[in-house]
Amino acid sequence: MRARLILAALLGFLLANRCFGQELTPPRQAIAGNPLSFSTTGSGSATFYLFGPGSAVKQDVHLGQSIEVRAEDVVTAGRYTAIVCSDTCHAEHFFVAAGAPASMSFLAHPSRAMVKQNDSISGVAFPFDKYENLILSPVNVNFEMTANKNSLFSRAIPTRQGVAWFRTNSGNTAGLVLLSASVNGISTQRALQLVASDPCNLRIKAQQTAKGVLVETEPIHDCAGNIVPDGTIVTFTANSGAGRSTVDAPIKQGVARANLTPAGSTTISAASGVVMGNELRMDVRR
Amino acid sequence: MKAASLFLFLCVAANLFAQAAPEVKLTVAAVGPRAVEPRTEQSLVRDYAAAWKSLADASESNTPALLNAYFAGAARTNFGRLVNDQQKIGTHIRYLNQVHNLKAVFYAPEGDVMQLQDSAEYQMQIVSGDKVIQDEHVVVQYIVLITPGADRWMVRQIQAVPAQ
Repeated sequence: MRARLILAALLGFLLANRCFGQELTPPRQAIAGNPLSFSTTGSGSATFYLFGPGSAVKQDVHLGQSIEVRAEDVVTAGRYTAIVCSDTCHAEHFFVAAGAPASMSFLAHPSRAMVKQNDSISGVAFPFDKYENLILSPVNVNFEMTANKNSLFSRAIPTRQGVAWFRTNSGNTAGLVLLSASVNGISTQRALQLVASDPCNLRIKAQQTAKGVLVETEPIHDCAGNIVPDGTIVTFTANSGAGRSTVDAPIKQGVARANLTPAGSTTISAASGVVMGNELRMDVRR
Repeated sequence: MKAASLFLFLCVAANLFAQAAPEVKLTVAAVGPRAVEPRTEQSLVRDYAAAWKSLADASESNTPALLNAYFAGAARTNFGRLVNDQQKIGTHIRYLNQVHNLKAVFYAPEGDVMQLQDSAEYQMQIVSGDKVIQDEHVVVQYIVLITPGADRWMVRQIQAVPAQ
């Protein structure tokens, strides 16, 4: 008798669940920006909710029919919670993944670098789909560095968790350098200026004038032969019996000049940054 | 009457306790190519906790402006849209008892962006009108991009991914 009662209760429960209970089946795979369809079981009207990382939706639905979700309500990648409520509520979760690459965030550093410096240039790229979702599945990012259409560096680097990066040496020649990152035909470019490094073989010459001694450098280059940029300071120093005098002069068109006023036996030298030039000894008569 | 007052007090106290500041732990052992300085580590923990607190507050009260302090870019846009939608349909989400185990996985050479993995756990309550329609313990992993602002780290991208 007792077993019959239990069996009847169980059957009743299963029948009620079949008639009135609700089941909600989310899609197995969902891509951001694509419409979704949920299948439901049960009967009668219910309220459907969908909560995602960038949207919340509520709509009246009929159990037993499929529920359609608009593409614009699932544009953000991440975890979604779908809930259907009639007498009780039933929830399901699913993930929406990013779509195909549509844009790229490319951080390149620095904007100005000296030539011949190890690991002085770096770039980081993040590929995004058209809804600004980070693409977490691996994609190859092609990094390239060019100067005057000559390739200085080129490498394909796969993203790890949505990030690809590189670090490289600067080139030998001063001038404009273009850095680009591209993935699936989407390319982002950054420009950086390579400038000459510290002067190399700083040489000076001097001539006595009516006002003192005019000292000037020969055209100043770095060790790779690039003209050192205008504005770089050269310090001229004169040591004589009258004492020591120092003049800072900026380079103009590759040459720095200064007028010194020593007297007697004088030693003149020049320096720029950490580089010392040659020394001149002269007897200055005034 | 006294019992009812005590019950109300306990409910309020429990709610306040539940919405305490999120617990955030950070490991930086595996980060590269740039190392994370101890002070950076401290500010990351502080700001990430504040970001989630502000998200919980914004979502609870449906006030998108609360997101401005710690979210920027796509993260700000997305959460702002969510909060606006919640307001429109008369719902809100509560994030309670948050625990975030952060692992720094990438720190850009120039320090202008960091990627974090957040193994998060929290109680999520979805409320429609006055009724809690979903109450669950969520365990989820987020991929986070965070960038330094003037005086704090800002969450720019936060994306939940299936458990690996």
